[in-house]
Amino acid sequence: MKLSSKQITGIVLGALGLCFPLFITLPGLSFAGHVGLGIFFLAAVFWMLEPVPIYATSMLVILLQVLLLSKEGLLFPETVADYTPTGYTAFIQTLASPIIILFLGGFVLADAAVKYNLDRNLTRILLKPFGSKPKYIMLGLMVVTGLLSAFMSNTATTAMMMTVIIPIIARIDANDPLRIGLILSIPFAANIGGIATPIGTPPNAVVIGALSAQGINIPFGEWMLLAAPFAVIALIICWLLLLGLFKAKATHIELDVSGTFNTSRNAIILYVVFATTVILWITEKSHGMKSAIVALLPVAALTVTGVMDKADIRKLPWEVLWLVAGGISLGISMQQTGLAEWIVTGINWSSFGAILMIVVFSGVVILMSNFLSNTVTATLVIPLAVSLASSGVAGEGFNLIIISLVIGVSASMAMMLPISTPPNAIAMSTGILESRHMTKAGFIIGLFALILVTLYALMYWPLIVN
Amino acid sequence: MDHQIYILIVEDELEVMDAIVNDLAAFEDQFPIETANSSEEAKQVITSIYESEQEVGLILCDHILPGENGVELLIELSTLTHTQNSKKVLVTGQAGLEDTVKAVNQADLNHYISKPWTKEQLSDVVTEQLTDYVIEHKANLLPFMARLDGTRLSEAMRNRPLTDH
Repeated sequence: MKLSSKQITGIVLGALGLCFPLFITLPGLSFAGHVGLGIFFLAAVFWMLEPVPIYATSMLVILLQVLLLSKEGLLFPETVADYTPTGYTAFIQTLASPIIILFLGGFVLADAAVKYNLDRNLTRILLKPFGSKPKYIMLGLMVVTGLLSAFMSNTATTAMMMTVIIPIIARIDANDPLRIGLILSIPFAANIGGIATPIGTPPNAVVIGALSAQGINIPFGEWMLLAAPFAVIALIICWLLLLGLFKAKATHIELDVSGTFNTSRNAIILYVVFATTVILWITEKSHGMKSAIVALLPVAALTVTGVMDKADIRKLPWEVLWLVAGGISLGISMQQTGLAEWIVTGINWSSFGAILMIVVFSGVVILMSNFLSNTVTATLVIPLAVSLASSGVAGEGFNLIIISLVIGVSASMAMMLPISTPPNAIAMSTGILESRHMTKAGFIIGLFALILVTLYALMYWPLIVN
Repeated sequence: MDHQIYILIVEDELEVMDAIVNDLAAFEDQFPIETANSSEEAKQVITSIYESEQEVGLILCDHILPGENGVELLIELSTLTHTQNSKKVLVTGQAGLEDTVKAVNQADLNHYISKPWTKEQLSDVVTEQLTDYVIEHKANLLPFMARLDGTRLSEAMRNRPLTDH
């Protein structure tokens, strides 16, 4: 394998970052904090320049933390004055943290849905009421995409919707801007839909995981209450924007909505388990069973009944779980070494008003996540918010849950470039649109997102959180 | 892109060769076309493609060729490591039933186009075969979405583990 110059740069910078405590001593930061910062530098550089896949970076991060920061590791066999090392299990058990198990449950459901064509059949049924007018068809496609991507990965949803939409687009006149509007509506709706539930997309997991490390539990239903109304409004704005930017010439589109549900024993079991799980997730308040516990239901039920076999289990996107776990683990060591607190005390945060703080966090996250993975963006920014809260340097009116939501939601609202999210890359690959179309629409959506996040953070989220 | 998937056309009549190359011009920006006039030349071309670390995705082959005939060539190619995965299409008017059966059974013939063909027909077959080829052999299908069958490629992607990171 030949390394590109970008990869070599990444590896060199990352290695330098990791080794920096050997050369530089920062005032006010413990030695453990230096080591933690070294690991953070390496992770940040690797995640940004991607000399290795981002999940591999997460695996490396966990190894480095165990080796360098744990009680069983090389550097801190005993407690020192300014650092009490934790056992290595603190780092590896992030792999079984509640949010990871919740995601596992979501993965099993989503993969079973694909296996038994539930996603496609639901799409057909749900599209029926939207008729044949282009603008309502676009709305229908966006609603269905958003709904599915709230429970499945945004990328898998986009791939499935492409099989529905490419034949439709093929029948539309090649000069009709509607083609561009339709092809953009899918990835945009998928990105937005992922916001709606905790399992919708990994940045949500990062946020929920970080909060839970602070002892703040966000139930499934509460996340939906906070985030779903945002997703709905964002979806409507996005729809209106695409209609305005790409005015349809066609007045009528044929839509093939025929298809029958799989009624085999296995498929029926899946429908029942899927519905039961989602209902239990949403009604956590009434029965008190945590969503991670409920998530074990589909995992156990679908494998015990043979609905999902060994091959299906192997096919699950395990690397996402490592990616998120690595991020949570990084957050833990930043807290424990005093690194996070050291970083935030350098800035006079109390001079930031509440509004400015929200706008800055949202803006920075949207900008970063246009170029980086959404998950990585959330992972890199969330420790800052957490330490602002725990160190108490932020001014009054700072609410950790709200800032965390700002970060999580903003990470999903970056869609200017094909590289911004995998759904964007899929839409771009069809050759139906040019990147300037995506950039223009994505830029405007990013601006609206900034405004919308700010409004929600100031007016709606406080009503639910407080 | 340094790694390319080639289309190889084996045909001894120049006019026919030109017609095929013309009909497939739309593929050429992504799938370079190589031509050969005989079985012997075809094998040389394949070797040189293989040596420059590229691959042959599709072989369109006439039956009547000087020397070894098309069916024999395809049977031979189906046993070689460089070409056993390549999609194989017989483009001919003159292969008898016996030869054709032999090609299907022994060379894993993927398609049979009888002369004369239409441009649309040929390009549909090439699209279908190359789509099969990339689905079977490529990890990343995105680069092929625009040129090949996007619906089938999307469907193939849907059945692979897809994630958001």
